[in-house]
Amino acid sequence: MAIKKDKVDAVMVGFGWTGAIMSMELTEAGLNVLALERGEMQDTATTAKYPNIADELAYAIRGKLYQDLSKETLTFRHNPDGFAVPYRQHGAMLLGNGVGGAGFHWNGLTWRPQASDLQLRSHYEQRYGKRFIPEGMTIQDFGVAYDELEPYFTRFEEVAGISGKAGNVMGKIVAGGNRFEAWRSKEYPLPPLQDYYGAQLFAKAARELGHEPFPIPAANASQPYTNPYGVRLGPCNFCGFCEDFGCYMYAKSSPQSTIHPALLNKPNFEMRTRCQVIRVNRDASGKVATGVTYIDAQGREVEQPADIVFLSAFQMHNVRLLLLSGIGQPYDPATGEGVVGRNFAYQMSGGVNAFLPKGTQLNPFIGAGAGGQSIDDFNGDNFDHGPLGFIGGANVRHNRTGGRPIGQAGAPKSAKKWGSGWKSAVQDSYQRMMTIVAQGSVMSYRDNYLSLDPTYKDAYGQPLLRVTFDWHENEFKMTKYTVGQAERIARALTDEVDVNVRKSGTHFDTRVYQSTHTTGGAVMGADPKTSVVNRYLQNWDVHNVFVLGASAFPQNFGYNPTGLVGALSYWAARAIREQYLKSPGPLVQA
Amino acid sequence: MKNDNEPRRRFLRQAIAILPASALTPVVMTQAGCSQSTASSGTPLKAVESDYVPVYFTDAEWAFVRAAVDELIPVDGPGAGGLDAGVPEFIDRQMETPYGHGKLWYMHGPFHPEAVPELGYQLGLVPRDVYRHGIAACNAWCMKQYGKTFPALDASTRVQVLEQLEGGKIHLDAVPAKLFFGTLLKNTKEGYFADPMYGGNKNMAGWKMIGFPGARADFADWVDQPGARYALGPVSVLGEQA
Amino acid sequence: MITYRKTLLLAASLFALSRACIAFADDVVSANEAALVKRGEYLARAADCMACHTARGGKPFAGGLPLQTPIGVIYSTNITPDKATGIGDYRYDDFDRALRHGVAKNGDTLYPAMPYPSYASVKPTDVKALYAYFMHAVPAVHRSQTANEIPWPLSVRWPLALWRHAFVPAAATDQVADASATDSQLARGRYLVESLGHCGACHTSRGTVFEEKALTDAGGSAFLSGAVVEQWFAKNLRSDMADGLGQWSDDDIVAFLRSGRNAHSAAFGGMSDVVQQSTQYLNDGDLHSIAAYLKSLQPAGTGSAQMTYDDTAAKALHAGELTSPGARIFVNNCAACHRTDGKGYAAVFPRLALSSTVNSSDPTSLIHIVLRGSAMPGTPSAPTSFAMPGFSQRLSDQQVADVVSFIRSSWGNHAPSVNASTVSKVRAHTE
Repeated sequence: MAIKKDKVDAVMVGFGWTGAIMSMELTEAGLNVLALERGEMQDTATTAKYPNIADELAYAIRGKLYQDLSKETLTFRHNPDGFAVPYRQHGAMLLGNGVGGAGFHWNGLTWRPQASDLQLRSHYEQRYGKRFIPEGMTIQDFGVAYDELEPYFTRFEEVAGISGKAGNVMGKIVAGGNRFEAWRSKEYPLPPLQDYYGAQLFAKAARELGHEPFPIPAANASQPYTNPYGVRLGPCNFCGFCEDFGCYMYAKSSPQSTIHPALLNKPNFEMRTRCQVIRVNRDASGKVATGVTYIDAQGREVEQPADIVFLSAFQMHNVRLLLLSGIGQPYDPATGEGVVGRNFAYQMSGGVNAFLPKGTQLNPFIGAGAGGQSIDDFNGDNFDHGPLGFIGGANVRHNRTGGRPIGQAGAPKSAKKWGSGWKSAVQDSYQRMMTIVAQGSVMSYRDNYLSLDPTYKDAYGQPLLRVTFDWHENEFKMTKYTVGQAERIARALTDEVDVNVRKSGTHFDTRVYQSTHTTGGAVMGADPKTSVVNRYLQNWDVHNVFVLGASAFPQNFGYNPTGLVGALSYWAARAIREQYLKSPGPLVQA
Repeated sequence: MKNDNEPRRRFLRQAIAILPASALTPVVMTQAGCSQSTASSGTPLKAVESDYVPVYFTDAEWAFVRAAVDELIPVDGPGAGGLDAGVPEFIDRQMETPYGHGKLWYMHGPFHPEAVPELGYQLGLVPRDVYRHGIAACNAWCMKQYGKTFPALDASTRVQVLEQLEGGKIHLDAVPAKLFFGTLLKNTKEGYFADPMYGGNKNMAGWKMIGFPGARADFADWVDQPGARYALGPVSVLGEQA
Repeated sequence: MITYRKTLLLAASLFALSRACIAFADDVVSANEAALVKRGEYLARAADCMACHTARGGKPFAGGLPLQTPIGVIYSTNITPDKATGIGDYRYDDFDRALRHGVAKNGDTLYPAMPYPSYASVKPTDVKALYAYFMHAVPAVHRSQTANEIPWPLSVRWPLALWRHAFVPAAATDQVADASATDSQLARGRYLVESLGHCGACHTSRGTVFEEKALTDAGGSAFLSGAVVEQWFAKNLRSDMADGLGQWSDDDIVAFLRSGRNAHSAAFGGMSDVVQQSTQYLNDGDLHSIAAYLKSLQPAGTGSAQMTYDDTAAKALHAGELTSPGARIFVNNCAACHRTDGKGYAAVFPRLALSSTVNSSDPTSLIHIVLRGSAMPGTPSAPTSFAMPGFSQRLSDQQVADVVSFIRSSWGNHAPSVNASTVSKVRAHTE
């Protein structure tokens, strides 16, 4: 017989960024909040200890902080007719785990999307005409406008301590920042990180080509900083062990470094680790959630009653939990009906390796996860898409995160892959190779979606989440164009370049690292026929279930997603505190 | 977080160390019984010694791995060769880790090796198997081809064999050739560049070859010196300094 | 929805219930009971009763914390108002005898692990408040006394009575004649430091039978001039420049006690717990009083010269010129947080340059923290517990000696170098 725990006011399923933000907001409102995390406790002092954290093999190659795929993974197929096979090894995307989630070991690039990104379909229809959007591309508006979210971006950036230089303050373009960015009400809370040498070279080249480069907005504190919760960050010292690693300087913004010290000891907050939630429970009507069921560390089934359920488990797991719980109608690509799993998207990146003249001392090990310089001319709708015939764009940047020898010591494509030729090439390249990346958007399509796998199961006997996904021509056009821009900048620095761009018709390759910016499957919107949650991330069918994270994005843009994820969490929290708690029920009439 | 490991208030032993039989005579405080100290020898941990005896590979396999590493990262060219850097030891020790046993991967069936390459690794083989079966199959192939096992071949022939494995030109029944070669090369490079505590990169030779500072992980003084030559040698996680 | 207001209601109703059961001393006025209890709670924080009378993971004040001694292990007592296992049947006089005279209800002298020599100076009015708190607001916990593990004949108690008569001052009255009675802030500070705070129990060196060499400033400049305690050097709190509080302002002291950190230093080792459990709860007035009092203490004579920063070491390290083993070890282990200029990062990682901890003649704390690390306390005013890792695995005794000596002679620091055998002793007695 299942164990039944005492009811709590709110339960978080998953304790990463969104779980921490929502826990903080709701405990401040006086609720008893319980956070359930399937993984282990992680904190700076223990999990990111110096110098042990500076271990490339353990963390970046063997993935010590990643999800343990042996227990649970995804399955992939390229199209709805295919047979999905398991993602047996980490490759394209690095799924997080543990307290803090991937927020503990990300790089920290923290953007605001363009205003047009949030109203993508309306915007493109208006500017380029309805027929510009291809048949089968299912892009949608978010259901919330940038102007409404602006204060919540600011809130997240202040909590996280983002280092940057504003480019558009209250509509006024400010030199030194991103002239294309959506307007902001004020400067970043911290000045931008210093530019390492490669960033200076990139910026110089970009300027020569008529662009206005700006420092990448970074969740790596440029100096010690105390956030609105009284929690203090240390400064980034460019250690070069950012993505895949915890930060021993307390400088990388993570739930641990920005929220936990103020949250974990609150008398009305509890955290339980090693608790794998297997479903959300509902009452007989099916319209109200009664809590969740989880498997604890001993393997026992535990029922946890709660008044409000938050799915804060990362985009993929949120969708899987909805499907496993039978909440909402699963999407069927054949009919185009249903909503859970629809509009799954990703990102497509390409780039250029530039080999600067011999003797250049880039000192590539001087790295910061979100350090570097960027241009945004080819992102969003910042350029005329009419003649180009595609939708979307890419953020073009030089972002040096480190010079770690196993994964980051590159060589020219023409170089031998082993032998003395390889040794010479690696040694010769190490100090003079820099990469310019174009991180591009991926639209949503009718045939890219998420569902439960019929064949493969996790360690608890539940079906894995199946990802049906492949690239489309629109993205190949986008990447060709934007990588071309990256190449232009590279060639302003050197003639020796290697271009890495996906060729049209190639298939999505799960083996090659891309990013973990997977989105959608529980999208937000104004219409319950095409969305799973409303503009407050509240489930249309079950009013006391909220689904936080990038699962809400109806398509993906050319930016890293966390800035919007954080803003939406604070935005939803406000609606819950001010409206929902006073009067529980649907916040939006369908 | 807090100093949970330290018993609190043990200092008060001083205040109450009054032996009843000699209450008014001075008592010499000793530290005996005061703590459960680890009392290490005071010398830092060293990387594993160099006369290494493999724990996973058989003698024949060990000879193969050494021979292959010697070609993949030879003595020629800048920096140390893979053998001097301890790469074979690294690989052998990796075979005893969860990675070696395939524990980091999802290894439940059904297996569909015929799936397209872009959907990733779909075999039931773990790294230990790849080496064990791959080495046996490759040696057998070499015997058939050259009348000698791989380690007994001369350097240029070994290189040829490796090139053919790399290109999938040799058919090995037990393990796809490209997988076997790919695993070998990946682990070899890992062994050359990983922290020395894993058995390879001895004396930080790999890091010295490219000028990587190792586990120092602090460049606050160097960001504002663009283009300057970095003046310091590497340091390892366990404190080996150069 | 349950909020934690319910918990407070529950506590209040328990309090009301308990009132009916306990007899008060005659001069406690029922009308002021709630205020008295609240004052008692505050004073219990100041006196840090929690630190010893709560076992790790145990219920508050229920005792059971093992205290290691050369004569064996003694366990702290249950001071919750449980009748059977706590002090539930202690009348006020019993409580006062224990607290300020060091005599238990059964007549035994308490082991001076209980700092009754300091508590002797607590005023009766405060004792009454403490009594009211412990009897009426602390939840009773049924937890039997863990038997002390002291072999006979060491367990015989009567010699302690001799010690008590020799070294414990007479209990204070409410009308205490105070030389600085004209300055109420100093008087308050003296009172907090010398009595409730019992700071001398750690910060004053001890004589041959382990009596504190001075219980008050009037007793001499040994008072609060530093002592080794649990392999930490509880530093000199007098106004010496190099190793005392001479460079600290009143506000620095207040910030340190409230949040465990200030521009000069951060709490570590035993003091981290003191901030966490005691001083963070003191009000502003009391913190400033403590600061004023400490700043009024004359130097102990360890070094009064103003310290000046010297950038020689910083320049050399910045350029990668590592001319000594200690410099190299510093760059490879310490500089990431404490910086090559020794200045650390404000209110994140403390500075080493001109630090009073670094410049203390006794290097025990430095060696201890290099070997074992430490974490700052987390308090509402400064929630982040910045932590330093231990380097015992990475550094040999000689290497620790080299780097500590380097730190003690760089950036203007002037403290004696350290040798490997000293390190070895600290290593053996810490974990």
